Amino acid sequence: MTSLMPLTTVFPGLVWLMAALALVQGLRRAALWRVGAAAPVAWLDGLVKLPKRYLVDVHHVVARDPYASRMHAVVAGGLLAASILTALAILPPIAGFRPYWFVVALAFGVTAVGSLLVGARRYPAKQKRLSAGRFQILPFLLVAYAVGGTATALLLAFGIGGVFAPLALALAAAGGLGLAFEVRHGPMRHAAAGALHLVAHPRPGRFEGRPDTALQPLDLDAPRLGSEMPADFTWNRLLSYDACVSCGRCEIACPAFAAGQPLNPKRLIQDLVAGLSPAEPAYAGNPYPGGRPAQGERGALAGLIGPDARIHPDTLWSCTTCRACVEECPMMIEHVDAVVSLRRHQTLERGALPEKAVGPVTELRQSGDPGGRPLSARTDFAAGVDLPVMADRQQAEVLLWLGEGAYDLRYGRSLRALIRLLREAGVDFAVLGAEERDTGDLARRLGDEATFQALARENIATLQNYRFERIVTADPHALHALRNEYPAMGGRYTVIHHTAFLLELIRAGKLNPVRLPDLSVTYHDPCYLARYNGETEAPRAVLDAIGVSRSEMARSGKRAMCCGGGGGAPVSDIPGERRIPDIRMAQAAETGAGIVAVACPSCTAMLEGVTGRTSEIRDIAELLLQAVEAGR
Amino acid sequence: MTIVVLLSAGRHPVSGAPVLPRMEAQAIRIAASLGEAVGLHAGPDAEAVREALGLGLTRIEHIALPEGLDPVPALSARLAALAPDLVLAGRRSQGGAESGVVPYALAEALDLLLIPDVVAVSGGADTLTLDQSLGRGALRRVSVRGPVLATVHPDAAAPHAYAFGKARRGAVELVGAAATGVDVPQAIVEERPYRRRPKLVKGAPTGGSAAERLKAATGEGGSAAKGRLLVEPDPEEAAREILAHLRQIGVLAGPTKSNS
Repeated sequence: MTSLMPLTTVFPGLVWLMAALALVQGLRRAALWRVGAAAPVAWLDGLVKLPKRYLVDVHHVVARDPYASRMHAVVAGGLLAASILTALAILPPIAGFRPYWFVVALAFGVTAVGSLLVGARRYPAKQKRLSAGRFQILPFLLVAYAVGGTATALLLAFGIGGVFAPLALALAAAGGLGLAFEVRHGPMRHAAAGALHLVAHPRPGRFEGRPDTALQPLDLDAPRLGSEMPADFTWNRLLSYDACVSCGRCEIACPAFAAGQPLNPKRLIQDLVAGLSPAEPAYAGNPYPGGRPAQGERGALAGLIGPDARIHPDTLWSCTTCRACVEECPMMIEHVDAVVSLRRHQTLERGALPEKAVGPVTELRQSGDPGGRPLSARTDFAAGVDLPVMADRQQAEVLLWLGEGAYDLRYGRSLRALIRLLREAGVDFAVLGAEERDTGDLARRLGDEATFQALARENIATLQNYRFERIVTADPHALHALRNEYPAMGGRYTVIHHTAFLLELIRAGKLNPVRLPDLSVTYHDPCYLARYNGETEAPRAVLDAIGVSRSEMARSGKRAMCCGGGGGAPVSDIPGERRIPDIRMAQAAETGAGIVAVACPSCTAMLEGVTGRTSEIRDIAELLLQAVEAGR
Repeated sequence: MTIVVLLSAGRHPVSGAPVLPRMEAQAIRIAASLGEAVGLHAGPDAEAVREALGLGLTRIEHIALPEGLDPVPALSARLAALAPDLVLAGRRSQGGAESGVVPYALAEALDLLLIPDVVAVSGGADTLTLDQSLGRGALRRVSVRGPVLATVHPDAAAPHAYAFGKARRGAVELVGAAATGVDVPQAIVEERPYRRRPKLVKGAPTGGSAAERLKAATGEGGSAAKGRLLVEPDPEEAAREILAHLRQIGVLAGPTKSNS
């Protein structure tokens, strides 16, 4: 072969051939994305920002596992550098310059080291969270390409020909063409689809440093509501699922997976990937807990959800929408959006809510409260407390949004503490009283977009009648809906969580707590405050202001574990092997703290419902009130 | 088999919002399990019953009547034309423009058999099997031939979830109104929101102080306090005591002859 054509042409030619093969394989896969719905994509903006999104945002997530980060730097950096340098050598002046081949050999050498790092994660035994299957041959392909490339480049650098050159080149070709072939179905797809996904990301806002977490409103006049089959997703969502590299970080973070409920976010995304094409190789990671074998039709028009389809409805309803999987995903996939889109179809088109969730959602639609309780009873918790109502006042500095927690006897205690603190600080506030309806959060997470939009419209119409500067709420779910999701419905408000508001009052000197160093406290972050809104500091600052001895759980802040109370999971009540709040309380017990501080009515209810717990559950407002009262 | 579900413009018992009464939603579930069913509503506005389209009906026939007109003549005329095998209706009013007597008036007008308080229906065009609730979980199975009008009991299976998409696709058809109605006699009724009232417990102790009543209700000072404490009794004696206790509380039959 070398006699026909010099090695300096064949070797770069191999890289060009690889690129061509990768392109063909990539295009074959990309043809499938075209079945998806249209989506607005800012191409130019995305392309310009791609390096930053990869090197900053993706790196930030990948680097939580430093080994993975270093491995990628070496293997991906080496592979790209070596391949590009080799490809450039198609130009004769470069190819003839021997020292150049030393540089190429060095780049291939680095790749070879990286390949060994890749292999070490999978051999002799693979890490539990990783998928096997085609991923298990990846290290061999990499090693072959890197070692073959190093040898070829060195031969060229030293000008040695003979029998070794074809051997080295053949090794490089086997590995290199193998890698390029894997762009369609194999591990290398994550590199191609991942890069494109970063450009065409459905939520570009998350790269701009703001939490882009609001569910996108559904057009209720659309011919089909929600997603029933792969073709119902937008094309860039289909692309995003192809970016999945099956690393399994999501399944480690998922509370439902930990509780043995039939949900594994990795499997779910892989089912969406596999549902798109019958040719997709079999899934080789951890299954959905409960071990349901893969079944169902495949194809762009095949139904995804059903007792006999790829994804069992219980899988869908197990999700607490806590976003832990999204937070951990190095490929920036939006799992929760996928779950909600599938739920929307189940609920809106098929009326296939889980049996136990039908009652609360029906009541929400008919009476504006999931418990079907009279709206006028929302303020019953404050019997004997002077609670100004907006209808009498018409205006107030602060509108206190009570939320569904107000009906709960336990949470009423937290709200009473908050109201006493507001009184103490002389805040001018009022509540909506009987005019407050549920924000519709529960309906929206369960896919009932119609009820959410109806409730949002009613609430916005009510709020229009009054003058206030800010809304303060103790319920992060209500906060997220009012702050992030109502703007799309036409209601724009400044919404602040009670912990942030109390911190303001402390800093302004309006509340003067004493220090309570005898209390040992660990703070449990609510998902809808920490992950959905990025607020992790204010609650901790309030705790520090009252001088409690504060310890952190292993999972805290934006990486905290869910209490199990979100996304309608408590009303769907999908059985598992364990309960999510039990797991979380066990994590809290590891800190040895006597008090678990909470800042959300759902967390309060879920964590206080844990049997045999040794620590107390106290809202931040209750702790602060204790500190303020101790100072009098 | 032709099935008709009578739909009324009800109100939510707590919020007072216009909703389809729950028992009619349950009736739709029963009807949908048997086959294609059509909803029938007579009143000024069909918006009130549109919700039924999201619960399992695909078609509603609406007889437009002016406010305050008795719907029974129009409904019975339409039912006579449809000649259904089964007519399902709610059992009682839960407020709004419902009276709860329409099924009875219709049964009388059409000379139909009326079976009240049904929780389940099965069967085909020939014979229908209806499970009738007798209260407190007791059921009676009734088999009937020919057309029947049944009212649905709240113990029937819970309604299906509302599907917005189905409601959107369903059709409300305006059917000709027999304008020869009579005005409903305006009954003098007062409507108040429902309030759950405390239930009296049968056999609950009365009199004495609150503490004594609590003690009696929770068992302290009751039979538990009257018990005898046996420390490490021999098995024979323990068995005798247990048997005696079980007889005393009526779990076992009375003592045998030799003992008495």
